[in-house]
Amino acid sequence: MVFRKLPTGVQDILPEECRILTAVRDKLSKKFRLCGFEPVLSGALEYYDTYSDIVNKIPQERMFKLTDTDGKLLVLRPDVTLAISRIAATKLANPHTRLCYFADKWDMQEAGGMTSREIYQAGVECLGEEGAFSDAQAIAFSIECMRETGIDGLIVDIGHVGYFKGILEECGLTDAQSEEVRELINAKDGYNAERILRKAGAKEKTLNTVLAMPTLFGGAEVLARAEALTENPRALSAIAYLKKVYSLLVEMGYEDCICFDLGTVKRLSYYSGIVFSGLVKELGAPLLSGGRYDNLADDFGKHIPAVGFAIGLKRVLVALERQGKLPEKQMLDAVVYCEEGGEGVAYAHFSKLTGEGKSVRLCASYGVEEEVAAERYLATKEGVKRI
Amino acid sequence: MIYFALAKGRLAEDSAALLEKCGVDTSVLQKKTRKLILKSEDGKYGFFLVKPSDVPTYVEAGVADLGIAGKDTLLEQGKDLYEMLDLKLGECKLCLAGFPKRHDLLTNPHLRVATKYVNTAKKVFSERGEEVEIIHLNGSIELAPVTGLSDVIFDIVQTGSTLKANGLEVLEDVYTGITARLVVNKVSLKTKAAEILPLIGKLKEVVS
Repeated sequence: MVFRKLPTGVQDILPEECRILTAVRDKLSKKFRLCGFEPVLSGALEYYDTYSDIVNKIPQERMFKLTDTDGKLLVLRPDVTLAISRIAATKLANPHTRLCYFADKWDMQEAGGMTSREIYQAGVECLGEEGAFSDAQAIAFSIECMRETGIDGLIVDIGHVGYFKGILEECGLTDAQSEEVRELINAKDGYNAERILRKAGAKEKTLNTVLAMPTLFGGAEVLARAEALTENPRALSAIAYLKKVYSLLVEMGYEDCICFDLGTVKRLSYYSGIVFSGLVKELGAPLLSGGRYDNLADDFGKHIPAVGFAIGLKRVLVALERQGKLPEKQMLDAVVYCEEGGEGVAYAHFSKLTGEGKSVRLCASYGVEEEVAAERYLATKEGVKRI
Repeated sequence: MIYFALAKGRLAEDSAALLEKCGVDTSVLQKKTRKLILKSEDGKYGFFLVKPSDVPTYVEAGVADLGIAGKDTLLEQGKDLYEMLDLKLGECKLCLAGFPKRHDLLTNPHLRVATKYVNTAKKVFSERGEEVEIIHLNGSIELAPVTGLSDVIFDIVQTGSTLKANGLEVLEDVYTGITARLVVNKVSLKTKAAEILPLIGKLKEVVS
């Protein structure tokens, strides 16, 4: 019995749900194509060393590992952005391109609640691009993608890793201490961050800035508050950059769905600039997340500045269901029944209708069954009649 | 509506008193009932009464927007949520405790540690590079060294009277300042900011 079950953290997607998933994917796929993104798909199996020997390495306990016939260690695609970055750096003649994907990634984390271990994502990567307009476009496009799926009331929460890094570099912390402070700030735990910073002998002014970080979230006014707190050039240039992106987003008409959080400093992240995530109030986890990762491709031998985001398709389905926005089941346009001897006629009529772009089911058994469809036909030796 | 996950028992009573001071109608929590979801009469707040160690789970998943949980539970579970405020309730510490003199056993080269806080204990000892055997218990931890199940315990200590009554004492304070914390779901803080932020502001005033 146990071998008919699935391991923890993976799911079969049954027809009812898969129909909706496919509908959402089709909408996104069309949107990607219309906005100039080329699809790409990386191999699902890769060498373990590809992702363990780089600066932005993935922790080994998070990767699903297999052994190849020659004894080499393989992993199931642990991250799509890394894989695409590898492709762009090693295989594309012109890595200045906009790519999109629908792909699974596998994460050997403890599954439960909103997390699973096989994660189906849709995403885009704008490769070889720099500047505020590129980032503003990525953010705007993430909003448009969610609208396309039918999601209502999306808020995009924007931060910048430069602010935190700039302020922290003044504190004289060791790498391990920095990482600990980052984790605490990310959890908005100012209390323990203060303990570590005091122990490390951080200056009072810097200390106050770091401790204010967990409160630096809200509307655009946060940027002015953050600016007043520091004189660090790196932190100030991060704020100037965010202001530029914000003014572009306002100009592009997205003022209402933007908020800021300068205390968002993601775990072990390859992000080098702006970071953002898409939130709706019906779901306790982000629907999408992304950011700028200018140095990621350096790991694979080429410098390709880039920005992108990934959408968790399962989360989008859950949010759509909670918002009562699931796409309705489409009725078939036609059903063709047939009587013995009328098979050829039935098939010809079925082909004609599908050729007209209708959705049609051709029954395999003889005689008429109960079925809901707009048009019903019965084929006999003599011909087709509508019933 | 804003949903709270509260730890059943004394912490729930203290939390309710604190929230009441901040203008949250918690009268529904005073009534004796077996219901697990309670709603305030003004319809603004909902309360889930859960096992203390389940509070972070409800908040991380976003089923509850806010929760009040002990720092010990948060350390142990390492959930992805915002820890917004130290409520300074129920202060205690996480300690290593045992007999004043350790009896070295030839057949037990590893220190045996009995605890409820398995993850935290693993982290503490791995940071020190010490190999230990961790024994997971769910209660009456003090019994472990007394019966020879373990050499020491890693547990929460408030007054130390249970330790004393069993001939044990604190060997080392590992984490001090363990108190109740206000935790918030990462998405709720942004999507329900208009309701949550003023409440956090008031709590901050009341606590300090």
